[in-house]
Amino acid sequence: MNSTSFRGHSRFLDLLLGVGAVAAVVSGGGSLAARASAPALMPVTSYRSASCGCCTGWVKHMRANGFTVRDVVVADVGVVKRRLGVPARLASCHTAEVAGFALEGHVPAADVKRLLQKRPPVAGLALPGMPLGSPGMESAYGKEAFTVMAFTRTGAISSFSQHAK
Amino acid sequence: MTTPLRRRQVLGLGLAGLGTAVVGPVLWDRVQRSAARAQPAGAARLASRGGLADLELVAQATRGTLPGGPAELLTYNGRSPGPLLEVNAGDRVRLRLRNELKQPTNLHFHGLHIPPTGTADNVFLSVPPGGSFDYEFTLAKDHPAGLFYVHPHQHGLSADQVFGGLSSALVVRGDLDRIPEVAAAKETVLVLKDFASASGQEAAMGVGRMLGREGPLLTVNGAINPGLAIPSGGLLRLRLLNASNARMYRLALEGHSLVLIATDGGAIATPEPLDELLLAPGERADVLVQGNQTPGSYRLLNLPYQRSGHMGMAAAEDAPRTLATLSYAGTVPPLPLPKALIPVPALPKPERTRRFVMAHAMGTGMGGMKHDMGAMGGGGMAMGGMGMGFVINGQAFDPDRIDTRVALGSTEDWLIVNDDVMDHPFHLHVNPFQVISRAGRPESQRRWKDTVLVKAGEEVRIRVTFRDFPGRTVYHCHNLDHEDLGLMGVLQIE
Ligand SMILES: [Cu+2]
Repeated sequence: MNSTSFRGHSRFLDLLLGVGAVAAVVSGGGSLAARASAPALMPVTSYRSASCGCCTGWVKHMRANGFTVRDVVVADVGVVKRRLGVPARLASCHTAEVAGFALEGHVPAADVKRLLQKRPPVAGLALPGMPLGSPGMESAYGKEAFTVMAFTRTGAISSFSQHAK
Repeated sequence: MTTPLRRRQVLGLGLAGLGTAVVGPVLWDRVQRSAARAQPAGAARLASRGGLADLELVAQATRGTLPGGPAELLTYNGRSPGPLLEVNAGDRVRLRLRNELKQPTNLHFHGLHIPPTGTADNVFLSVPPGGSFDYEFTLAKDHPAGLFYVHPHQHGLSADQVFGGLSSALVVRGDLDRIPEVAAAKETVLVLKDFASASGQEAAMGVGRMLGREGPLLTVNGAINPGLAIPSGGLLRLRLLNASNARMYRLALEGHSLVLIATDGGAIATPEPLDELLLAPGERADVLVQGNQTPGSYRLLNLPYQRSGHMGMAAAEDAPRTLATLSYAGTVPPLPLPKALIPVPALPKPERTRRFVMAHAMGTGMGGMKHDMGAMGGGGMAMGGMGMGFVINGQAFDPDRIDTRVALGSTEDWLIVNDDVMDHPFHLHVNPFQVISRAGRPESQRRWKDTVLVKAGEEVRIRVTFRDFPGRTVYHCHNLDHEDLGLMGVLQIE
């Protein structure tokens, strides 16, 4: 199973911690330094399925930008998405929580920081799908323009930030 | 023989010069240039005569209109879908491809059992802008009758070109067409294709290349909700081709069963009535519809389908959408369904089993990135790697690397494993295969297939004999964005 070898790192850690279906990995190169340099940032909890090949890239992006991230592997991310009220049409692969806000998909750290500063009356931010070139989706195949959306508990959706190609 | 559709609303293809007044400056420039060259749309059907098919397809950008505004569509001979190509088993086929696009293109003869080399189904050749190529091959006298699919296979541009509108259905006449009950049916080829909206806004909503682009506009033979006619008592043979880039079709016809008589590679052994038919990109199916209901109108529906293991991802529509409308017209003495079709023999015992694991990942290949991913900081790509994309057994497509070598004449089982959060329709060129089992459950009936849907997290076992033709070819995901993003491998038959 060559295809999973590059994802083996985090799976291996999950097994070591031995917490069964739900395993938390609070670790990672650089996160200590990042925490020291940005102590005000709220901790992030990220939920993903074991078979997703891009969610850890976003976790690394968040850590590199000063966030402390719990990387949690769950059997069904859909349960988390429903609990946090992520509208189905905005769904991506992983779902995260920070300071009571939902973060769906590969939302850039800069947008999360602006969310935490401004605290708009929304339930969270979502970057639907998995746009090439978004954090954790860097690719030699190209970049896509994308729009980060904000959504409310009642399902109202608005544009939060636009990212050109 | 083919029933023309009554077009309620037809895309404005081949109508260069009659376009709309409101055109943005950038598009205007392109439209001007393509309109200046545009020719009237060619014939809707090109057929062989006396054992020779002498065909020409001109790939071009054509000014068209979509609901919501003008658009530049990609066409063969000014049409999308391109002309219906109709040949007989045993025919000599000469097909000149003229490339009037601004980028290279080529052709793949999806499903045909012909050589993967030379002037036949050679997807490694490329026709430059302004160039042309003469494809030439002979279909075996016993080539199965079926519905096949001609489309571009230019690596890196396949999805753009197919999503833009390039495709033609190819009918091979033969054994199945001679079964009396099938011959008595009225026949209609239905090319199912979605288009982006004129604004293309949906890409910003996340239905991008990683999931595979879908468009909100559903068309059948380039028309929106065309009418189909059936006489009371009659039989209608619907020949369905999913020519979309990534969209799945979960088809149902109100009030009627879809009686399956053929899959990708030709006839099945016994007709099989279905309430629903799932068709992945690249797949085909022939179904018979019996005009045995109260005369009236019935909708051919596309039912919601979730093609990602993740709730909501990949823009599942939450309500059925109408593709076409079947109306009763006239009466004929009742036509029976065929009792038996054409046997599908069991393949020999496999000599070996291989395993192919499909996933999206920070891929290796194209330079062989091999190092600790932890060292990549923000998850970016490193020198030599492709970064995020799709892989088979950990490797992204590299045309210069042979991934799988098989012996000519041998039979193998391939276990196709989807270790991903989204569906992947797996397609093999040149040789049809049979699905042995899905998720460990044996298939109920043998069928000839060249494309099989492997759902997120699922495993499918296929069996294939590499007959007749040595050479180099490919297997890949037929979500064409995935193919372009690396989900393809090279097969050497020797
Ligand atoms: Cu795929």
